Amino acid sequence: MAARMKLKLKTVFVLYFMVSLMGLIYALMQLGQHCDCAEHDLPKDRAISRLQEELYRLQGQIRQLEKAKQPEKKQPPKSSLSTIFVITPTYARLVQKAELTRLSQTFLHVPQLHWILVEDSPRKTPLVSNFLMKSGLTYTHLNVPTAKERKLQEGDPSWLKPRGVEQRNEGLRWLREDRKTEPGDDGQQGVVYFADDDNTYSLQLFEEMRSTQRVSVWPVGLVGGMKFESPVVEGGKVVRFHTGWRPSRPFPMDMAGFAVSLRLVLANLDACFDGEAPMGFLESSLLKGLVTVDELEPKADNCTKVLVWHTRTEKPKMKREEALQVQGLGSDPAVEV
Amino acid sequence: MLKRRDIVAIVLIVLPWMLLISVWHQSNITSVLTAQKADTIGGRSDSRALKESSSLQSRDIVHVVRTEYIYSRPPPWSQSLPTLHIITPTYSRPVQKAELTRLANTLLHVSNLHWIVVEDSQRRTTLVSHFLQEKGLNYTHLNILTPLTYKSRGDGRNPRVPRGTLQRNLALRWLRETFPLNYTQPGVVYFADDDNTYSLQLFEEMRSTKKVSVWPVAFVGGLRYESPKINALGKVYGWKTVFDPHRPFAIDMAGFAVNLGLILSKPQAYFKLRGVKGGYQESSLLKELVTLSELEPKASNCTEVLVWHTRTEKPVLVNEGKKGFTDSKVEI
Repeated sequence: MAARMKLKLKTVFVLYFMVSLMGLIYALMQLGQHCDCAEHDLPKDRAISRLQEELYRLQGQIRQLEKAKQPEKKQPPKSSLSTIFVITPTYARLVQKAELTRLSQTFLHVPQLHWILVEDSPRKTPLVSNFLMKSGLTYTHLNVPTAKERKLQEGDPSWLKPRGVEQRNEGLRWLREDRKTEPGDDGQQGVVYFADDDNTYSLQLFEEMRSTQRVSVWPVGLVGGMKFESPVVEGGKVVRFHTGWRPSRPFPMDMAGFAVSLRLVLANLDACFDGEAPMGFLESSLLKGLVTVDELEPKADNCTKVLVWHTRTEKPKMKREEALQVQGLGSDPAVEV
Repeated sequence: MLKRRDIVAIVLIVLPWMLLISVWHQSNITSVLTAQKADTIGGRSDSRALKESSSLQSRDIVHVVRTEYIYSRPPPWSQSLPTLHIITPTYSRPVQKAELTRLANTLLHVSNLHWIVVEDSQRRTTLVSHFLQEKGLNYTHLNILTPLTYKSRGDGRNPRVPRGTLQRNLALRWLRETFPLNYTQPGVVYFADDDNTYSLQLFEEMRSTKKVSVWPVAFVGGLRYESPKINALGKVYGWKTVFDPHRPFAIDMAGFAVNLGLILSKPQAYFKLRGVKGGYQESSLLKELVTLSELEPKASNCTEVLVWHTRTEKPVLVNEGKKGFTDSKVEI
């Protein structure tokens, strides 16, 4: 009996070996071939792709419906998401339309976003007005000129005078006025974020800031002369700030590194940016009236991820244009750039 | 007591399985790494914006978890629209992730888009690989290193190869290797640098390209914008530029798009590597593909500016110092 069992075992082994060898050869043959995905279209994958198509189609429909509602400037918050009010100061220069274009392309991905665009100009310019109308976003178009003595002159370095102060304050003022007409708890729900028109924002940033209760903070890339500046979080609280420049400031962070809850903005009607504050203290001039460092809410994975970058766009070289314009042969000014 | 025969038997069983598993494992890895320059992963334009089945599973899980990002998915694939193959060369520098982020935010609005990202590097970097996986765009990730001898060496002795040339040529080669000569699905190829700004209207304008279409580009050639000159018949007869308007094609890389069929039918057309004068790079490709009269003007007969040649300032990183002040593990 033992002999027969051994025999059976031997044949099992041989069979096993042969099967493995076949499988190996088959696999080696497969490796040499170009994997054509269509051939591997198993029924489960087909079901998945069908469901994905359904999903895309429905998303497209939702987008259509949202777009149909967009023409109203103020959209009643029907969804459960709190609105993000983005205040962006802007001023006329060559790259303005380009900057606003790519900024709007990012914002279009964020649901429940209300863009408050404030021009540094005595009048609303047609470039910005037309642009906003075509953007498809929910927006408010404001304008307030910067006082002459506060304005940067040609050739001034960008850090000489604080920029966008009056514009941001105007945005806050409008927001407070507007919310007066919407009493009740719903109207107080929201987050205020100051977004400059040349920075780069990832979509995840907006989702992180939505849950702001008072003031939330996160790292900002490419600012302060470093790869990134960031609050340092220990035990879920901000204990200090990692910055290479004047860390003794009350809130040593960039404008793009924090968001304030609407409730807090409405509760402190006097809190605004102080244009007379020394360089780098602009953010602190607002925040010191609103929170203490202890109350700050760290986002972006306890301030370990960079979700916003302080990019700056080069001023385009216009030597040839200027030379042509002197001759009266400049490019057609009717063509908007 | 193990006899020699038993040992042999056991070895004969275990060996093929180990080989099988290692081969299978390796075949999965080679589909991710670069064995040769032309190895790729990613979607094909005819597969309805889906990837290989294995990566599809992991992406489905990502989809389910992040349902609140409902707006940040590309639009559904349409059977009737020509595919846009956008070729973007990129290289590592501090602003790279930021540039790619905002370019991707733009591209996410465009239907039937296939993004070909070509890194100037020895290996595909994790930064770009993860980034592309997260974004959800239909993409192909390639890489080719520009040898140092080709890179900028001041003026004189070694005329430099314009940046991105090798990368763009690799993408063209990939297209020719991926799509057969008689490929019937319509497609358009566009070279999009990662620091420019593109309006969404531009992508729709270029979709109808039969051979090569052209349009104005802002902030190039030291002007507000450069543009082709259009005559009364709607044909291009010259170039409205100050910098060498007598070039065969005095246009910027961002100012034209080529029909995919044309690319496939002229397999010898590439960007010339060496001996190309400044500003003649685009001509080196286009003169192999079309004549001036065959160009199709877009953007309302080249009167609207839909693309801006913006450049991002190099960030000032003085405070990093020699050793690096910030945590190098944090990706920017």
